[in-house]
Amino acid sequence: MRYDLVLLNTVLIPVAGAFILPLVARISLKTRDFAALGLVLASFVFSLLLIPQIMAGRAVIIFSQLPLGFNFVLTADALAVFMACVSSFISAIIILYSFGYISHYENQNEYYTMVVLFLGAMMGLVFAGNLILLYVFWEITAITSWRLIGFFREKKHVICADKAFLVTMFGAVLMLIGFISIFQQTGSFDLAVIKESVKTNPVSNLAIALILVGIFSKSATLPFHTWLPDAGVAPSPVTALLHAAILVKIGVYVFARLFLTTFSLAQFWHTAVPIIAAISAIVSAGAALRETDIKRIIAYSTVSQIGFIFLGLSIGNELAVAGGLLYILMHGLAKAGLFLCAGIIEQNTKTKDITKLGGLIKTMPVTAMAFLFCAFSVMGIPPFGGFFSKYMVFAGAVETGHLWIVFAFLVGAFLTILYLFRVFNLVFLGEARSLIQAKEKSPIMVTSVAILAVLSLVGGIFINYPCGFVQIILANMAGIIK
Amino acid sequence: MYSSLILLPFLSVIALNLPFRNLMKKLAFVVCLLVLLVQISLIVCPSICIWSNDLDIFGSFLQFNFAVDNLSRVMLFCIGIVLLAALFVQRYIIDDEERIFNFVNVLLLILIGMDGIVMVRDIFSLYIFLEITAVGSFILIGFNKDVDAFEAAFKYIILSVVATVLMLSSIALLLIVSGSTSFSSISDALKTSPDSLLISSAVAIFLCACFIKAGLIPFHGWLADTYSAAPAAVSVLLAGIVTKTVGAYTLIRIVNSVFGFESSINSLLLVIGIISIVIGALAALGQRDFKRMLAYSSISQVGYIILGLGCGTTLGLAGAVFHLFNHSIFKTLLFVNSAAVELETGTTDMNGLSGLSKKMPFTAMTSVVASLSAAGIPPLSGFWSKLIIIMALWMSGFYVYAVIAILASVLTLAYFLSLQRMVFFGRLKEDSANIKEAGLGLMFPALILALIIVAVGLFFPFIINTFILPAGNILGG
Repeated sequence: MRYDLVLLNTVLIPVAGAFILPLVARISLKTRDFAALGLVLASFVFSLLLIPQIMAGRAVIIFSQLPLGFNFVLTADALAVFMACVSSFISAIIILYSFGYISHYENQNEYYTMVVLFLGAMMGLVFAGNLILLYVFWEITAITSWRLIGFFREKKHVICADKAFLVTMFGAVLMLIGFISIFQQTGSFDLAVIKESVKTNPVSNLAIALILVGIFSKSATLPFHTWLPDAGVAPSPVTALLHAAILVKIGVYVFARLFLTTFSLAQFWHTAVPIIAAISAIVSAGAALRETDIKRIIAYSTVSQIGFIFLGLSIGNELAVAGGLLYILMHGLAKAGLFLCAGIIEQNTKTKDITKLGGLIKTMPVTAMAFLFCAFSVMGIPPFGGFFSKYMVFAGAVETGHLWIVFAFLVGAFLTILYLFRVFNLVFLGEARSLIQAKEKSPIMVTSVAILAVLSLVGGIFINYPCGFVQIILANMAGIIK
Repeated sequence: MYSSLILLPFLSVIALNLPFRNLMKKLAFVVCLLVLLVQISLIVCPSICIWSNDLDIFGSFLQFNFAVDNLSRVMLFCIGIVLLAALFVQRYIIDDEERIFNFVNVLLLILIGMDGIVMVRDIFSLYIFLEITAVGSFILIGFNKDVDAFEAAFKYIILSVVATVLMLSSIALLLIVSGSTSFSSISDALKTSPDSLLISSAVAIFLCACFIKAGLIPFHGWLADTYSAAPAAVSVLLAGIVTKTVGAYTLIRIVNSVFGFESSINSLLLVIGIISIVIGALAALGQRDFKRMLAYSSISQVGYIILGLGCGTTLGLAGAVFHLFNHSIFKTLLFVNSAAVELETGTTDMNGLSGLSKKMPFTAMTSVVASLSAAGIPPLSGFWSKLIIIMALWMSGFYVYAVIAILASVLTLAYFLSLQRMVFFGRLKEDSANIKEAGLGLMFPALILALIIVAVGLFFPFIINTFILPAGNILGG
C-alpha cells in the first residue's frame, strides 16, 4: 500500500471535502449530513490504516522542498497517529450527535463545513513536520472555532467568539516569534533538521517561553483560560469539539511534539510548567465549584484537567508522560460525553442553570447514566479510563520527588470529585424543579453520549491496548525524557 | 515593448476624445477594459506580445528611460487588477453614459501616470508621472461634486502640493550634487561625494515627500477624509493602488536605487513604519465608519511595507514588495465590499448595520477572506508577507520592532473582527429585510480578488520563487 497517499488523504479529505459540503447540500440536506460524517470517518479510517506501519516501527513521511525553509512535511509517527485517531474518532461521534442537535437551526451548511474543516486542520496539525505548516493549521482551527462559537449570531456570542480568536491569536503570534528564533538558530523550520541541530546547541529559554505562551493560550491554561468558559455559548457539539476533544488538546499535543520528541527542556521548565499547571488546575476547579451554568462548569473542569495532562507531560518522567498521553484519550472521550449530555439537557429543558434543574434521572435515565460514567472517568474512579491515566501521572510525579506539586494536584483531583458530584446531584437527583417534563427526544443524540460513556468504561477495562500503543510513542521519545 | 503600456492608454484617451463622441461614449468602458486586460496579460505572459518590436520604435520617441524589473512587473500587475476593479465598481454604481465616459478618461490618465512611475529610471520623470497621477486623483475625488468630496479633494491637493514642493527642492539639491537626474548617476554621485548637510537634507526632504504621499503617520491627516468622502470606485482606486504606488513604491524604488541603505535611513523608515502600524491600528479600532476604518487600516498596513523596507535586507525587501502586492489586493476587495454595503444599505456607519451575512452572503464571505488576510491569518496571502517581514526583522536583529509589529497584527485582527461583528456576523436587524445581495457587477471583481488572495496564500511557494524573491534580489543587486 502507498502509505504516503494514505497519510495525504487523512489530511486532504476533510480539508478539501469541507468546501464541497455546501454544494452537496444542494442535492439534499440528509446527503450533506452523511457526507460530513463520511469525510470524518474516512479520515479516521485512514489514520487507523497507518497503525500497522507504526507498529512495525516505521514512520510515514511526505516531504517536498520549498524556499526559505518552509518545507511541506507531513510525518506520521506514533504520537501523531495516536492523536489523529483520537481526534477523528471523537469528531465522528460529535458529528453523529449534531444530526439531532443542529437540525433545527439556521446556517447548517456553515456549521458542517466549519466542523469538518476544523477536523481537517487538526489532522494537518498533528502530522505537520514543519513549524510553519503547524502554525498554518493552528490558525485555521482558530478561524473555524471563531465562526463556530459565534454560530447563533447573538451579539454577546460573537463577542465571545472574537475574544477566543484574539486570545489564541495573541499566544500564537508570540509562539511564531519563538519559531522564528528557532529558525535563526538552526536555519530551518523542519522539525527533523531542528532535532539534529539542537543536540549540540540547545534552544534558548526565551524561545521556549514564547512557545509556551502560545501553547497555554490554545490549551486555555491560566492566565489565558478565560476565553474557554465564555466560548460555552456555542452549540453544545461545538463546545464538545473545542473544549474537550480537539482544540484544547492542540496545545498539549504541540507541547509533546516539540518538547518531548524534538528537543528537551532545561531542568528549570520541569518545575515551572507543573507549577503553572497546578495553579491552573486548582483555581479553575474552584471556579467550577462556584458556577451555576452547567456548560461553564464543565469548561472550567477542562481547564483544570488540562493541568493534569501538562503535569504528566512536563514533569520529566516516563511513567508520567505515558499517563499524560493516555489522559488525552480518556479525557477526550469523557469530557466530550459530559458536554454532549449538557447539550441534551439544555435542549430539552431550555436552561443551562443547574439550580433550576433537578430530578432528571427519572425522565432522562440514559443521559443520567452516561453523565455519571463520564464523570467517574474524569474524577478518576477505577475501573474507568481516567483512573489509570491519572494514577500513572501521579505515580510518575511522585517518583521525581516534587511532593508539593503532587499534593497540589491531589487537592485539584479532590475538587474535581466535589464539583462533578455537585452537578450530578443538582441536575439529576432530588425533586424535579423544572415545570417542563423533559424527555430524551432525539435517539441519535442519546446514542452518541451512550457510546462515549461506554467507551470511557471499556477504555479503562482494556487499558492495556492504548497503553501498549503509548509504549511505542515513548520509545520514539527515548533520549529526550530522562 | 513596455513603452506600449504608456502609449496604449495615451492613444486611447486621444481616440476617445476625437469626433464621433456619441459613439465613443458607448465604447469608453470597453476600450478601458481592453487596455487594462492588455496590461495584465502582458505581465502574466509576456510572450503573447508579438507586436512588441514595432511599438518599441514608437517608444523610442518618448524621452523617458524605461526599464522594467520584477518589482515593476508586480506593480504593473497590481495596477491592472485594481483599476479593473474600480472600473467595474463605477460602471455598476453609476449607470450614466456621460459620467462613465468622464471617469474612464481620468482613469486612463491615472493609468499612464502610475505605469510611468513604476517604469521610469529618472528622478525628474518620476516627478512628472507622480504629478499626472495626483492631478487625476484630485479630479476623481471630487467626481460626485458634493461638499464633502470637494473638501477631501482640497485637503488632498494641499498636502500633495506640499509634497510636490518638497520633492522638487530635493531634486534640485540632488541635481547640484550629481549634475544629472537619472537614478544611477545620482546614486554614484551620492556614493562618491562626502557626507554633507546638503545631501542628507535632500534625502530627508524627499523621504518626507514620500511619507506624505503614502499617508504615513505623522503625515496622515488627509487620508481618512479622502478615502471616506470619495465615491466608492475612487476609494477602491486610491486605497488599492494610487497611494501605494505614489508613496510606498516610490519609497522602495528611491531608497533602493538612489539613496541606498544607510543606517540613518533605515532607522528613520523603521521608526515611521512602526509608529504608523501601531497608531493606524489603534485609530482603526475606534472607528465606527466602514470606510474610515479601512482607511486607518491602510495606514497601518503601509507601515508594514515601510518596516520591511527598513530592514535593508533582501528578505525584508521581498517581504515589503509581497506585502505591497497583497495589500493592494485585499484592501481593494474590502473597499469593493464597502461599496456593496453602501449601495445596498445606503450607509457606511457600522452602528446602523448588523447581520448582513444573511442577506449578502457573498459579500460577507469575501470580506472575511480579505479581513483575515489583512490580519495575517494563514493560509491566506497576507500571512506570508507579514511572516517574511517579521522574519527579516528578526534576522537583522531588530527584535523589538519584530515583536511590536507582530503584536500589532493582533490589533489588526481585533478591528477586523469588530468590523465583521458589526456589519456581517450577527443578528439581522428587523428593518433591513429588503436588503439584497449586490449585483454581478460587484460580485465579479470581489470573486476574482478573493480567489487571488486564496490562491496566493495556498501556492505561495510558487509565487515567492517566481516573483517575490527575484524582486528582492534584483533590487539588492
